[in-house]
Amino acid sequence: MPLTYPIAEQTLDNGLRVVVSSDRAVPIVAVNLWYDVGSRHEPPGLTGFAHLFEHLMFQGSRNVASGQHFSLLETAGASLNASTFFDRTNYFESLPSGGLDLALWLEADRMGYLLDAVNQENLDNQRDVVKEEKRQSYDNRPYGDSYERLVRLAFPEGHPYAHMTIGSMADLDAASVEDVHAFFRKYYGPNNAVLTIVGDVSTDDAFDAAKRYFGHLPAIPTPPPAPDGTIGPMTGVERDDVESDVPSDLITMMFRLPVDGTPELDAAGLALDILAAGQSGRLNRRLVRDEQIAQSVSGGALPLIGGVSFGTLTGIASDGIDLQKVEDALLEEIEKLAADGVTSEELATVQAQAERDWLEQLATCAGRADEISHYALLFGDANRINTRIDQVQAVTVEQVQAAAQKWIRAEGRVQVTYRRSESGDQE
Amino acid sequence: MSQVLTTPPAVGAPRPWKFPEAVTTRTSVGAPVHVFDRPGQYVATVRVTIAMPLIAEPRELEGVATIMSRTLDEGTELHSANEFAAALERHGAAYGVDVSSDALHVEISVPVSHLAPAVELLAEAITRPAFNQADVGRHVTIRLGEINQERANAGYRAREAFAAHLFDASTRRSRPTAGRPDTIRPLTNVEVADFYRNNIGPERAEILFAGDATGVDVAGIIDAAFSNWTSSAGTALETPEPIYLPGNRVVLVDRPGSVQSQLLIGCAGPDRRDPAWGAAAVANHVVGGTITSRVDTVLREEKGYTYGTRTSFAAPRKGGTFSLGGAVRTEVTGAAIGDALRILREARDGLTEQEVQEAKDSLIRTAPLRYEQADSVAQQVGSNIANGVPVDFADTYLTKIAATTAAEATDAYRRYVDTDGLLVVVVGEAKDVRPQLESLDLGDLIELS
Repeated sequence: MPLTYPIAEQTLDNGLRVVVSSDRAVPIVAVNLWYDVGSRHEPPGLTGFAHLFEHLMFQGSRNVASGQHFSLLETAGASLNASTFFDRTNYFESLPSGGLDLALWLEADRMGYLLDAVNQENLDNQRDVVKEEKRQSYDNRPYGDSYERLVRLAFPEGHPYAHMTIGSMADLDAASVEDVHAFFRKYYGPNNAVLTIVGDVSTDDAFDAAKRYFGHLPAIPTPPPAPDGTIGPMTGVERDDVESDVPSDLITMMFRLPVDGTPELDAAGLALDILAAGQSGRLNRRLVRDEQIAQSVSGGALPLIGGVSFGTLTGIASDGIDLQKVEDALLEEIEKLAADGVTSEELATVQAQAERDWLEQLATCAGRADEISHYALLFGDANRINTRIDQVQAVTVEQVQAAAQKWIRAEGRVQVTYRRSESGDQE
Repeated sequence: MSQVLTTPPAVGAPRPWKFPEAVTTRTSVGAPVHVFDRPGQYVATVRVTIAMPLIAEPRELEGVATIMSRTLDEGTELHSANEFAAALERHGAAYGVDVSSDALHVEISVPVSHLAPAVELLAEAITRPAFNQADVGRHVTIRLGEINQERANAGYRAREAFAAHLFDASTRRSRPTAGRPDTIRPLTNVEVADFYRNNIGPERAEILFAGDATGVDVAGIIDAAFSNWTSSAGTALETPEPIYLPGNRVVLVDRPGSVQSQLLIGCAGPDRRDPAWGAAAVANHVVGGTITSRVDTVLREEKGYTYGTRTSFAAPRKGGTFSLGGAVRTEVTGAAIGDALRILREARDGLTEQEVQEAKDSLIRTAPLRYEQADSVAQQVGSNIANGVPVDFADTYLTKIAATTAAEATDAYRRYVDTDGLLVVVVGEAKDVRPQLESLDLGDLIELS
């Protein structure tokens, strides 16, 4: 049965899509903007730009001083942030409903007039901050570069998903203020975004407020679409074997998967869940509980819109166990699933888990606003938040096996392994 | 047609807000049950909070409480470990345990439509664990592997060194909650079952529900599931006051290959019994609680040394800490510490009226966001119980914050920060960082590997 969260949608004259989901039971409102620009849009030489804007967007705009975006919203009781992903960037805040106008004004000022404030000084400063972010999140932790290595193998050079959102520090270093301005002018405008408002405001008042603050912003020339990333399953095996000072040996396999929004992707995601999710997944039962060759296993699908998605399976070897054993067991389970399929009980279990995850995601105004923006921007249909559970429930054991047979195979994968160096020395 | 507004629009007054109210009953075996009805929250959390001060662990078996907690669901008198997980997850439930210095929390989150069977399984794990040696032995091995992962994690290493050098060795919190290799290795199901028998029982437990209770007899479901819980464990021991080590000192943990230095700088702080707990939170917000605070304005926004640092006053049941944590580029480690210490010390000279007002507004007005989701209500109430304060402590806390003046916030801060010296912990490439630390002249430098 579908959920019943209300959805109302209007498009302003300048092309901004506005979606409102009123909920008067809580005293707060969530504002969420998805811009149709992510790392998949970045041409060679400009990697990391979408993410760099996630930083610059907090450095002030025509009528907002540097740091003021944060301080005004925090004082109004907001929780706020932004995120960058392969497919899009996302700017959001939740706050007591009396602050709705403030939030919209701040978002509109930076959508329309960010470049007034982007200069050499704050570009240099935020470039330094991004480098520290990369050191903290990727370089200074064991296995921190695994995804970077995997997407490089899983997709051909120049493919929209072949580089990570953090980008290349060399590209960022080479960026001039004019490069940065040009990137903004190309992608950041009302007709390349979705604005979602969820919470303690009437539908009419929300639309009025959206018009009041965003209505005057001019549309931008239609941005170029991201390069088409359509590509089928892997047809061979590629490896990247790393020896370094890691605490335990680890393997991660990556598979290409069907594009997001299709029953086939849902089926492939459920197949990975049956292998790797929760305590009752096949890999946990066999590798961790029964054979005790792994300390932990994990995995799942990462849905993407640009012609292909990907999914992973990871195992960390138990102390003293050869990582090859973990790899062999993973491959055996992959092939067994493809050959023999899954039971209806296993499928019902991962579907029940997916239902809980989805209900939790929608349990806050912020979470609901994020998914509404997601489905409005990437699928043109915000109401999919209400039918998402039904879509997942509709997947059959036959579909799971068929998706697994096609996409999740021993002979169609890439993998990275990390093994402790014999000498114990650093790389 | 809209026009460009060049100044920020006014913010309307927030609707009044109070922490959600509970209906409290007792199970037939005496444990209090607090039901927080949260309409629209279709995923409920059921959390059992059991007083479990870690001083109950024998010194040579530290970590036994953690292994016991992690093996509650690894086989019960009725189900094997695999059967139990399959049954629970078939209901769409997620199960978890958390061990803190004062309490064990065991919880499930589950769609309300599957509440009764999931609560039965939760009760089964808590009241009828099997503690088979095969499962306990496996968790000992997993914990040893986890210790390897912790040793590779700069943030963890910093917290471990901070605790070891802030607290006297007689204080349990000077050592890791989940034990060390030499105290974990000897554990078998005998020690684990003993610890369970002596420390887990209904007299030490409170049970929380948060979620949409419309048309559901939550208290009845919980009572039915826990009605057979018996135990010879009486009430728990009281956690003793911690003993702090005073004075300025620097601990450098060598982590070869590091490209950043992980910092943790701090000292003793208040706990919730201190009337200044709320004022201290206000002061913290000004000094280092957010990206716009005094510390990050310099370290991140001005200097670009870091992706971000934060300060906090934190406390379990007894005895708190103040700390500033974050990672900075190796080459600027000394400069970043110098700036951070200067800012921490200058804050003793006084926080401004405007800073304090903005901090109060932020802390008070974000409350409805913090407790919007059912699970966050259960988390907060569980930690309130563990910390020995009333379930609606959030209201008292916010009232105190609202009443805090700039002078009181400054006083609360001055009473703790840099009064008895500061402990500076740095985890990074020692050969590059050591000279930078020596030139700062911060007191005795202890180097660990």
